[in-house]
Amino acid sequence: MAEDAQSRPTGGGIFPLRIRGPREFYGGLALVAVALFALWAASDLAGMRGFSFGPGTTPRLFAGLLIVVGAGIAISGLLVDGPPLESYALRGPALVVCAIVVFAVTIRGFRFSFFGLPVRIPELGLIVATFLAYMISVLAAREIRWVESLIAGAVMTAFCVVLFRYLLQLPFPLWPAF
Amino acid sequence: MSDLLSNLWLGFSIAGHPINLGFCLLGALVGTLVGVLPGVGTVATIAMLLPITFGLDPVGALIMLAGIYYGAQYGGSTTSILVNIPGEATSVVTCLDGHEMAKQGRAGAALAIAAIGSFFAGCVATVLVAALGQPLTRVALEFGPAEYFALMLLGLIFAVVLAKGSVVKSIAMVVTGLLLSTVGSDLDTGAGRMTLGLPELLDGIGFTNVAMGLFGFAEIIRNLEATGSNREIIEGKIKGLMPTRQDLKDSSWPIARGTVLGSILGILPGGGAVVASFASYTMEKRLAKDPKRFGRGAIEGVAGPESANNAAAQTSFIPLLTLGIPPNAVMALMVGAMTIHGIVPGPQVMTKQPDLFWGMIASMWFGNLMLIIINLPMVGIWVRLLRVPYRILFPSIIVFCCIGIYSIDNSPSDVMIAAIFGVLGYWLVKHDFEPAPLVLAFVLGPLMEDNLRRAMLIARGDTSIFITRPISGVLIFISVAMLVLALLPMIRKRRDEVFVESEN
Repeated sequence: MAEDAQSRPTGGGIFPLRIRGPREFYGGLALVAVALFALWAASDLAGMRGFSFGPGTTPRLFAGLLIVVGAGIAISGLLVDGPPLESYALRGPALVVCAIVVFAVTIRGFRFSFFGLPVRIPELGLIVATFLAYMISVLAAREIRWVESLIAGAVMTAFCVVLFRYLLQLPFPLWPAF
Repeated sequence: MSDLLSNLWLGFSIAGHPINLGFCLLGALVGTLVGVLPGVGTVATIAMLLPITFGLDPVGALIMLAGIYYGAQYGGSTTSILVNIPGEATSVVTCLDGHEMAKQGRAGAALAIAAIGSFFAGCVATVLVAALGQPLTRVALEFGPAEYFALMLLGLIFAVVLAKGSVVKSIAMVVTGLLLSTVGSDLDTGAGRMTLGLPELLDGIGFTNVAMGLFGFAEIIRNLEATGSNREIIEGKIKGLMPTRQDLKDSSWPIARGTVLGSILGILPGGGAVVASFASYTMEKRLAKDPKRFGRGAIEGVAGPESANNAAAQTSFIPLLTLGIPPNAVMALMVGAMTIHGIVPGPQVMTKQPDLFWGMIASMWFGNLMLIIINLPMVGIWVRLLRVPYRILFPSIIVFCCIGIYSIDNSPSDVMIAAIFGVLGYWLVKHDFEPAPLVLAFVLGPLMEDNLRRAMLIARGDTSIFITRPISGVLIFISVAMLVLALLPMIRKRRDEVFVESEN
């Protein structure tokens, strides 16, 4: 026990308690943070009126519960030994999210303001948006084979166009419109 | 009894309609495909295919979606046995003995027993759904807000108790799901709750977006991390599909037990096919004369769980169709599908739309029959599908999910919300949190809140209404007892751990 504490000096002087189960500790803390954020977001809502619930009652009830449970998990992370944090991959998740977001903003175009500057993303339509999203996702894999992916992307795009636009007749714009 | 028969007859005449048979076949085919492909879950698929059902008539749409669900249970076993990769979470235990059997050259027997067991379980469950439908519907009519709230609480507790891993962490997931479900307009006052000023959040967070993010995108992100899995596909022709007489004799009791166990666990809210298959495997191992054979190709280890997961998949329709409460995430999506077609799930479905209710039930029997035909002779084709490399598969799933989510509401922000939940799901897994209880709580949240508020209004703020009303009191008592039972061993274990440490 004593050796173990020495080999990991993270606890030591400032923190009397060493974090023994980091997955629990940080997981629990994050849940508490979510709950606090929810409490803040719901702070403008009316609470109980007599014995009838206001719009803010249930959110506060659930947020309060989450603080208790989350804090419990975090404390258990201080008291009980647990597995170490797993390492996070960055490239895979980032590219997958990027592919999804690119699809979302290009399928019908998207406008937003970036620090006051209006930004307009043009509507690229189903064909381009699908193919773009496919090719960006491809980058997330460890092994990339360009020719194979280009063919598969084209086939998948064609399949989606036939299925969604022609067979199911969903109102997708097919081609880019500027 | 004659009532039941005439109802079933109505069901069979509707399900037997060529068009509905076609939807049933399509659902079973897609389900098998999904079951075979690892990394494509049932929840994500049904969510993806929701928009496809827009144009169909409600009976056909629901028959197809139901087919996907139980079809996936069949398909999952095929890959478990032949490749040692569970295509679905429900067939994880089938790998243990099924793949061993395949290695010993008995792949055919394992596949056949899995199919026969599933078919038998499916038939029994079909009758069970039909038989329990009416009495439970009558019970449901007695239910007031307090009873509904207590029942849903019981469901969530079951989900917590039956989930893998730490009980406290599952509770945390349930509460998180409940909290997330309160985002959006308040039912009574219409006030926007926790919308952060974003108009997109006024309607709340869509369930399909959450499901697709947590089960679709998160799964992909996680799979990308896994180092190249070794897929040892059993090569060569699978011979001897027919099991021997001894095989049939050995597996008849496990099939029967698995069916009963699965049916019970399927009806329980919070239960479902995954839990059923694990429970059945454990039971068979306990009951076996020689438990050592398990894990080395015992046919009972295939027969029991495969029957159980199929039975559970079907009986989980019972709470949805009679009480209007979805017992798991897949059933929650069925609620979505029903709502799209203007059907409110609950006791009134049976009386107002008898053709839908009985047609769907009867279609399950047809579906099971089709699945046996699809699965056994066509096994080779399904196995060949497994050779599609994941690097081609996963971008296709991403694109398909994106289009699917977008088409539900023509809303780009829904697609982005799903992406956020994808990242959240990845984080949850990294911290050993289970997403399943969160999703169930997210679905039940609005219903629970509504019933809680109504119960409190009726009782004029007196919380004892939940205990004093008999049905609700019993349900609350069971919930508390279950929770205590689940927490006790944990506390005891903690103490043991402390003792172990102090000894060192």
